[in-house]
Amino acid sequence: MSARRLKHTRAAARPVILAGIDTGGTFTDLVAIADGQLLVHKVPSTPDDPARAVMTGLAEMLGDAAPELLTYSSTVATNALLEGKGARVALFTNAGFEDLIEIGRQNRTDLYALSPSRPAPLVTRAMRHGVAERTLFDGSELKPLSRAELSRIVAAARRSRADAFAVCLLHSYANPSAEDAIARALEPLGKPVSVSHRILSEYREYERLSTAVVNAYVAPTMASHLENLRRKLARTRLRVMQSNGQAVGVELARAEPVRTILSGPAAGVIGAAAMAKSLGTDRFITFDMGGTSTDVSLFDRRARIRTLSYPNGYAVRTPVVDIHTVGAGGGSLARLDAGGSLRVGPESAGANPGPACYGRGVAPTVTDADLVAGRLVAQSFLGGRMALFPERADRAIGELARAMKTDPLAAARGVIRVVNANMERAIRVITVERGFDPRDFSMLAFGGAGPMHACELAMDLGIRHVVMPRNPGLLCAWGALGAPLGREYSLTAIDSEPGFARVIRRARPLIERARAELAGEGVRAADITHEVFADMRYRGQSYEIEVPVTDGFVEQFHEMHRRTFGHAAPEAAVEIVNIRVRSRGAGAPVKPQPLAPARRKLVAVTKIETLVGERRRTIEVYSREHLAAGMRLRGPFIVVELSSTTYVAPEFTMRVDEFGNLHLEVSA
Amino acid sequence: MKLDPVALAVMNSRLAAIAEEMGVVLGQTAYSPNIKERHDFSCALFDAKGELVAQAAHIPVHLGSTPLSVRAALERLELRPGDVAAVNDPFAGGTHLPDLTLVAPVFIGDRRRPFAFVANRAHHADIGGMAPGSMALATEIYQEGFRMPPVKIVERGELARDVLALFLANTRVSEEREGDLRAQLGALSVGAERMREMAASAGRGRIALAMEALKDYAARLMSAELARLRPGTYAAEDFLDDDGFGASRIPIRVRVKLARGRATVDFTGSSPQVRGNVNANYAITLSATFYVMKCLAAEAVPANEGLMRPVSVIAPEETIVNATAPAAVAGGNVETSQRIVDVLFRALSKAAPERVPAASSGSMSNLTVGGFDSIRRRHFSYYETIAGGAGAAPGHPGASGIHTHMTNTLNTPIEALEAYYPMRVTEYRVRRGSGGRGLAPGGDGLVRELECLAESNVSLLSERRTLRPWGLAQGGDGAAGANYLVRAGVATKLPGKTNLTLKPGERIRVETPGGGGWGRAPSRRKHRAK
Repeated sequence: MSARRLKHTRAAARPVILAGIDTGGTFTDLVAIADGQLLVHKVPSTPDDPARAVMTGLAEMLGDAAPELLTYSSTVATNALLEGKGARVALFTNAGFEDLIEIGRQNRTDLYALSPSRPAPLVTRAMRHGVAERTLFDGSELKPLSRAELSRIVAAARRSRADAFAVCLLHSYANPSAEDAIARALEPLGKPVSVSHRILSEYREYERLSTAVVNAYVAPTMASHLENLRRKLARTRLRVMQSNGQAVGVELARAEPVRTILSGPAAGVIGAAAMAKSLGTDRFITFDMGGTSTDVSLFDRRARIRTLSYPNGYAVRTPVVDIHTVGAGGGSLARLDAGGSLRVGPESAGANPGPACYGRGVAPTVTDADLVAGRLVAQSFLGGRMALFPERADRAIGELARAMKTDPLAAARGVIRVVNANMERAIRVITVERGFDPRDFSMLAFGGAGPMHACELAMDLGIRHVVMPRNPGLLCAWGALGAPLGREYSLTAIDSEPGFARVIRRARPLIERARAELAGEGVRAADITHEVFADMRYRGQSYEIEVPVTDGFVEQFHEMHRRTFGHAAPEAAVEIVNIRVRSRGAGAPVKPQPLAPARRKLVAVTKIETLVGERRRTIEVYSREHLAAGMRLRGPFIVVELSSTTYVAPEFTMRVDEFGNLHLEVSA
Repeated sequence: MKLDPVALAVMNSRLAAIAEEMGVVLGQTAYSPNIKERHDFSCALFDAKGELVAQAAHIPVHLGSTPLSVRAALERLELRPGDVAAVNDPFAGGTHLPDLTLVAPVFIGDRRRPFAFVANRAHHADIGGMAPGSMALATEIYQEGFRMPPVKIVERGELARDVLALFLANTRVSEEREGDLRAQLGALSVGAERMREMAASAGRGRIALAMEALKDYAARLMSAELARLRPGTYAAEDFLDDDGFGASRIPIRVRVKLARGRATVDFTGSSPQVRGNVNANYAITLSATFYVMKCLAAEAVPANEGLMRPVSVIAPEETIVNATAPAAVAGGNVETSQRIVDVLFRALSKAAPERVPAASSGSMSNLTVGGFDSIRRRHFSYYETIAGGAGAAPGHPGASGIHTHMTNTLNTPIEALEAYYPMRVTEYRVRRGSGGRGLAPGGDGLVRELECLAESNVSLLSERRTLRPWGLAQGGDGAAGANYLVRAGVATKLPGKTNLTLKPGERIRVETPGGGGWGRAPSRRKHRAK
C-alpha cells in the first residue's frame, strides 16, 4: 500500500500527532498530522476485530509514536445491526403496548409485494416486559410506578439473561421520572441500559422506542470494542465519529452507540466539506458512486441534517448527515426487460461474482459498459494490481447489444446513460425536491466509479464545476481527523406563540448540558459554539421544517416553506414542535498538503479508444501521479489513479489546483 | 410507436420523478392527518389525450381510479390555461366523497391545446354528511356528504371564491380543508412547472412521442407478465359479511380468463347493489383489479394507461362492484375493495399457486370518533384504520399487524393522538393466535382499545367479523375480527358496522382479523418434538 510514514527522530520533544481513522468493509484508512507533516496509510480491515487493523495501521504509519488525539469512524455498531449480531435485549415498556416494537407504524415498505415482510423485531416476544405505569401527555401520572412493580422489573430483568436493557414508556418526553426510576433500578445489574428519553426527548413513541432498542442492541458490542481500543491506546485521547459528522468521547459513544450507526458516510461528507472549504466552495453536491450503491448529499454552507433514518429497515431518530442512497453502482446489472426497456440495477453483481470483466460473472454490469466504452483502462485498474478481462466484458455487453438490436458500443453507451439517469434522479431528490437548483452547486465526485460518470451527469443537471479531490479514498479518514467534538440534544416543546426569548429560555438546559459535557471532554469554553434550531410547522401540519433560531426566525420559516414547497401562508398560525441544540468545539486545524508545481511537461501513459459523445475516439490517458499544480488541459482525456478513473468530456477543461484537486469546468 | 430501450428507461425515470416530487410537496404541506401522516393521496401525469403516463401511488386504490376522474373532468369541462378542475363525485370518476381530485392542464407557449395534464387526489378528513369523517353508515350518497361533479375551482389563475365558499360551507373543519386544497394546488403547480421545463429542454414533440411509447411499453410488459401465468379460466367467489342494514353474505363472483397475454376479468353474478354503504363503483373495481395484476407481475410495470390495456374488466351496472347513483359508497372504497382483491387472488391462486397468498385480514377496520371536546372546548373528528394479519404464501408466513392490499396508511402516534383529542389508548398489541394455522402460518391481527374522555359519536365500519379470511392449500382460516363496547370493565360485542355514542370512561375495543395460513400445519405433537 502506498504510505507515507513518519520519519522517526529521537528528538527530546515528541511531535504532537493528530490522527483520523475510517474502518471500511475492505480497508482501514488512516491519516495523521505530525508537526504539520501529513501522513496517509491504508491497511486491510480485520472485521473479526476491527481494533487489530487500527493498531497495525498506526504502528506501520507512526512507528512507536502514539497519537495525542485519534478520531475514529467505526462500523462496529453498523455491522452488528446489518448482520443481526447484536445483543439479547430485554425491553421494559407500558403493559398493553409490548408489541409496538413489532407493529411499528402498521405500514409495509413495498406496496405491491405479494407477501409483505418486515425486518424481524430486535426484541423477541418473550423479552418484552409490560410495566404497570402510565404517564399522560401533560406529564401527569395516571398510574404511578409502584415500588412493588420496580422490584418485579428487577427480578424479571435478572431472569431474562439479557445482555442489554431498553426502557421506553409513553409520554416520557413530557415526564421522564418513571423511565429514570426503572433505569436506576436496572443499572446495578451491570448491563447497558438504554433509556428512551435520554437518547431522544421527542414525542412519537414508536420512533423513540425503536431508537432506544437499536441502541441497546448494539451497545454491548460497541462497549467491548471501545474498551479494547482504549486499553491498547492508553496514551491517546480517543474520540468516535457520530452520524451527524461530529465526534464524541468514548463514554458517550458507549452510552449512545446508535448515534454512530451512519457515521462512515457522514465522515465522507465532512471530509469532502473540509476539502471543499480549502477550495473556497461551500455549496456542493457529493457524488460517491461505488460498487453496489451511490451516495449523494447536499452541502449548503453546512451539512444538511436529517433526524429519521432506517438503517437495515429499523427506525432510528437521531441526527444524521442527510445522505440519499440509490441502488446503482459499478456492479449494477443491466438487462432488457420483456417490454423492451433497458434496466440497470437495483440488482447488483456484488463482490461475487462481480462484473463480467472481473473474471467470474457473465452478466453485463455498468463496469463492463465502462470498460467496453473505453472509460475504464484495463491495465491501470487498481494501479494494475487487479487483472481485468476485457473479452468477458465484450461478450456480456455484446449479448445485451444483440437483445437491444444494436452494436456493443451503443449498448455500452445506453447502460451508462440509464445508470446516469438513476443518479440524476437521486440528485434531484436532494436538490429540486428540497427547493434547491442543482446549477447553483459544484459537484464533488469520488468513489470508484464517481469520477468516471461525473462529467456527463453534471451536464445532464446543468452543473458547470466538478471537483475530483486528491486522495479521494481517504476522505472519510480525513473527515474524522478534522471533526469537531459535538453534542446535539432536542426536546419536544410545543409552542403556538413562538418567540425568540422564550425559545432560548427553553433551550437553556440543553445548552448547559452540552457545555458541561464538552468541557468534560477537555474543550476550552472559548471554543464552544451553540446553535439553536426549532422544528416548525403551520399549526395543523405534521411535517416540520428545521429553522435556525435567530431574531427573525418566524419570517424565515415562511421563507423556507415557500422555497421548499412553493407556497407559504404568512397569515397562518405557526407552531414550534421541537427545540434542538447543536453544540460543538473547534475541529482540529487540518490543512491539505500543497502539491508541487509542474517541473516538466505532462506525458500520456497510454492512449485508449474511448466513447466520446456518440463516437469512438483515441484519447490520452494520464496518470494522476504525474499531474502538478497549475496544469490546465482541455478534454477529452482520462486520468487514472489507484482507486478510480476520471473521464474528462470534451466540453470540460481540467485545472489542477495548488493542493492537487482536479477542477473540471465547462469550457468557455 | 417504439422508442429505443435507453430512451424508454430515461423518459420513464424522468416522468416518474415528477409525479413523485408532486407527492413530496403534497404530503409535507397538507393539514389533515389522512394526507400528512397517513399519506392517503396520489399524484399523476396525463398526456394530451388525458391518458395516464405516470403515477406516484401511495395508495393502490387510486391506481385505476384517478384516470377516470381526469376523463370525467375533460368530458364535462373545457380546461383553459390557468384552470383547475375539482371532482369527488363517485358517479363521475370519483371513488368515495372524501377523495377530492384536482386536475390542471399544462399549456406550452401560446398553443391552444394542452400539452399534458397534472392531477392529484387526496382523502379529506371531512366532506360533510350525516356524521363527522363522512364515513357514516348511510343508505344514500346524499347522506354521505357534499358531492361535487367536475367544476372549476380555479379559473384563469384566480381561485373561484364562490365555488370554494360553497365547498367550505359544506364541511365540518373548513380551515383544514382550505389548507389541504392549498397543498393540492401547490403540488399541481410544481408538476406543471416540471412538465414545462422538460418540454423546453427535450422538445415538446419528443416528449409527446415518448409518452405514447411509454404506454405501449407498459402494455407489452404487462402482457408478457400475463403470459407467464397458467392460461385458463378461473372462477371464485367470496362474500362480504353484511351491509349493516340486514343484507348478509353478500357475494362477489369473478371469472378470470387468461389467454395469450390478455386477461378478461368478469364480475357478472356478483350481488346487486345494497342499501348500506359497501357499494363499490366501477373505479374501485378497476383499481382493485389493477392492484392484483401489478402484484402478480414480477417486473415493476410503470403505472400508466398501458398497464391496463391487456386487461378488460366487466362489471355489470347496479351491482356491488359497479354501483350507480344514489347508492352509498363510502365503504366500497375501504372494505369492498379489499374483498374484490380477495376474490381475484382466490381465482388466480390456481393460475400461480406457488406465489399467491391466502386471504389477508380483508378489512381496514375503520374507526371514526367525533364530537365536542369538552376539555379543549372545540369540535373534533378523528379517523383511523387498524391493520390486521397478512395471508401466508409458500415459504412466507404472513406478517402481523400490517396493512395489506388496498391500503398502506400509517397509524397515528399515540402520543400525538392523546395530545390532540379527548381519547386515550388503553391497549395496542398483536392479537396472538389469530392468524390461520399452516405450514406457513397467517399473520396475527391487532387489538386496539380506545377510551373516550368526552361524550363521542363512534362509527365502526369493519368486515370479516363473521366470515373468516380463508387459508390456502389446506392452511387454516384466520380468526374473524370482533368489536366490543367496554363499559365498567364489561365487554359487549358490537356488530361489524355500527354507530353509537360513548360516555366518558367508556371504551371501544377492536380486534382485527388474522390472515389465512398456507399449507397443512405440522401436527401439534411433531411441532412440540422440535
